Amino acid sequence: MVKESPKKKAEGPEYIRIKFNAPRLYNWSTGKYLGKVYAEAKENKKLVGNRCPQCKEIWLPPTPVCPKCKVDMGWDWVELPQTGAVYQYTYLVYPLWDPHYGEKWANPYPSAIILLDNGVYYRHWLEEKDKEKLKAGTRVQAVWKEDYEERGQGVQDILYFRTLEE
Amino acid sequence: MPNRVAIIGIGQTYHTGRRDDVSQPEMVAEAVRAALTDAQLSIKDIEAVFFGNMETFEGIYLPDHGMTAEVGAFGKPGFKVNTGGTTGASVVAEGFYMVTAGLYDLVMVIGFEKQDCGDTTAAITAAAVPTWAKGAATGAIGEFAKQALSYLETSGAKEEHAAMVRLKADRNACRNPYAHLRLGLKSIDEVLQSPYLVWPLRLLDFCPQSCGACALILASEQRAKKITKKPVWIADLEVVHQEPFRAGIFGDPTGKETYTQHVACERLYKRNGITNPRKDIDMAEIYEPSNWEELNLYEHLHFCDKNEGWKLIEKGVTEIEGEFPVNPSGGVTATNPIGATPVIRVAEAALQIRGDAGEHQITKDINTAMATALGGPNWTVLFLLKRSM
Amino acid sequence: MQTVTEKLEGMDVWIYHGQINIPNTYSAGAVGSRFLIELRDKKRIMGTRCPACNRVYIPARSICKDCFGQLDEWVEVSSKGTVLTYAIDYEVKPIQPVEHPIIYGIIQLDGADTGFVHMLGEVDPEQLRVGMRVQAVFKKEREGNILDIKYFKPLA
Ligand SMILES: [Zn+2]
Ligand SMILES: [Zn+2]
Repeated sequence: MVKESPKKKAEGPEYIRIKFNAPRLYNWSTGKYLGKVYAEAKENKKLVGNRCPQCKEIWLPPTPVCPKCKVDMGWDWVELPQTGAVYQYTYLVYPLWDPHYGEKWANPYPSAIILLDNGVYYRHWLEEKDKEKLKAGTRVQAVWKEDYEERGQGVQDILYFRTLEE
Repeated sequence: MPNRVAIIGIGQTYHTGRRDDVSQPEMVAEAVRAALTDAQLSIKDIEAVFFGNMETFEGIYLPDHGMTAEVGAFGKPGFKVNTGGTTGASVVAEGFYMVTAGLYDLVMVIGFEKQDCGDTTAAITAAAVPTWAKGAATGAIGEFAKQALSYLETSGAKEEHAAMVRLKADRNACRNPYAHLRLGLKSIDEVLQSPYLVWPLRLLDFCPQSCGACALILASEQRAKKITKKPVWIADLEVVHQEPFRAGIFGDPTGKETYTQHVACERLYKRNGITNPRKDIDMAEIYEPSNWEELNLYEHLHFCDKNEGWKLIEKGVTEIEGEFPVNPSGGVTATNPIGATPVIRVAEAALQIRGDAGEHQITKDINTAMATALGGPNWTVLFLLKRSM
Repeated sequence: MQTVTEKLEGMDVWIYHGQINIPNTYSAGAVGSRFLIELRDKKRIMGTRCPACNRVYIPARSICKDCFGQLDEWVEVSSKGTVLTYAIDYEVKPIQPVEHPIIYGIIQLDGADTGFVHMLGEVDPEQLRVGMRVQAVFKKEREGNILDIKYFKPLA
């Protein structure tokens, strides 16, 4: 704990403000459904979702219960296409405090919603940083971390989506 | 037959970016005392206290553990509620449920936030599931940026229309002594020249981080009629939640079209025989974290047809003097102490019905008003307030 | 800090080792600030008295829990008091500001009607007992913080 700069205001009473910044550590379990996504990404560089036995909708993030039908999803996994079209995007102009890193940080890659070729929406980053070249509808493909040892970080095993040359 | 519930006391602090002169509990106490003064009651009259904020947004876990005395809750029933951005609305709903169920006749509901103590965007980012959110450190701003872009691309609106909404908010805020940002903006260009936060959302497009609190006293019909000549009735409310990172899956993945607002409106309007909201309701205080979202909400709340929201601002329909005033208080882009924000929406709508809004009082008679809240992945809470039941 | 995920041995579950690290500020307000400034500048422990309930709150607070009165009558209490209860913490946690073991005490200062949570020092844990008389030890360098009182030590 440190006290904020001790400069007193020229007028008015002094008020005490105490800064504190204690990182709170946690261990977060994926559970077995998201665990399957992690395993397929690391072992096979595959993106998977699970399919509802009733409505046949594919869910990513995967879920134990279909949000629509409220039924047990079972264990029916579907490999998702790794190509799609940029549906919507934005990029950070002003670096903001990132609680996961504990510092001000701006992801250099634009954040996007990508419509995968099977109709599933997926959020990830785009490799294309040139603001002029960003536009909805652009065809993109997932680029994976090639090093097996570096994978195992779930969806972050995909570095970004790269623009496909038509 | 459930008990009718009236708002009989309204109190808020002034809202500002920094309050060094009070601790978080002391700031809340100001709103509590203001509500008691408004109702001419003593804290001893209050049977139960419900309150909430965006716990941990100011680094304080269990704020209740340090402010029982300050909110007048010592030894009384009650609890804290936290439902993200809708917290303040959930707190009001909680008080409503307790009175309508007949458990208590007189309760206090309080929302608060002291954002000079924390970093809101960081806290919102931390609230998301780490697997999906890491590297997406844009908190709520990024979400509303995507919505803004969708609205810009699909509705026919121009950036100027969003700027007009911001100007309306600022004009109204300048008439509201409690509002945080009272900038005296003169032109659309001032908005359009403000820097980008998350493209295409600009600094002036988005709500500030405010410090403030707002408290309401709710009473059963029997007690309300004894205490005040100007009760404001909570005629109905609706609550609809969904899940983040699936927001888009129920409809539009950009969040521009929102499932919860659609469902909430459908239910509320149907139960209350509202077929043309702009005719059947006299005004609204809505939760618009950005000016773009206000345009979106005009459509989602059925104040107009799809892709016509921007025409309402263009025609001046939603100005204080307009046919259907929206956010005469200046709204959320002027003032956003998050936990208090939805309580302020209800409070401001109630003040309009009572005719006690002061300089920002709407001149036409307000008999029915709507207050809305929004949070998390477009969770929705709606209130319908009436002068008489 | 780089966060990592690892597979849990023998299970199809992965564990994400993360942190939530957000800079925060505690705003003491007018009453809390005066309490801390008195500690810092004058080594005085100040409380507020509720005239209706005749109770002295330590640390000073602005509102009485019983009568909801606004408290503005300041009183100095003694830096000596009596240990009401105590506990010894041997487990190191990163958020704790001092070395271990920490002996927490609730001390009723002479002139106060409330317990004051602080630490006990210069004492053998074996010698601790409820009812023990103690005295505040102030730090030399004080900065307007509750830790300007280093701890309470047994009265000779
Ligand atoms: Zn299904
Ligand atoms: Zn008292």
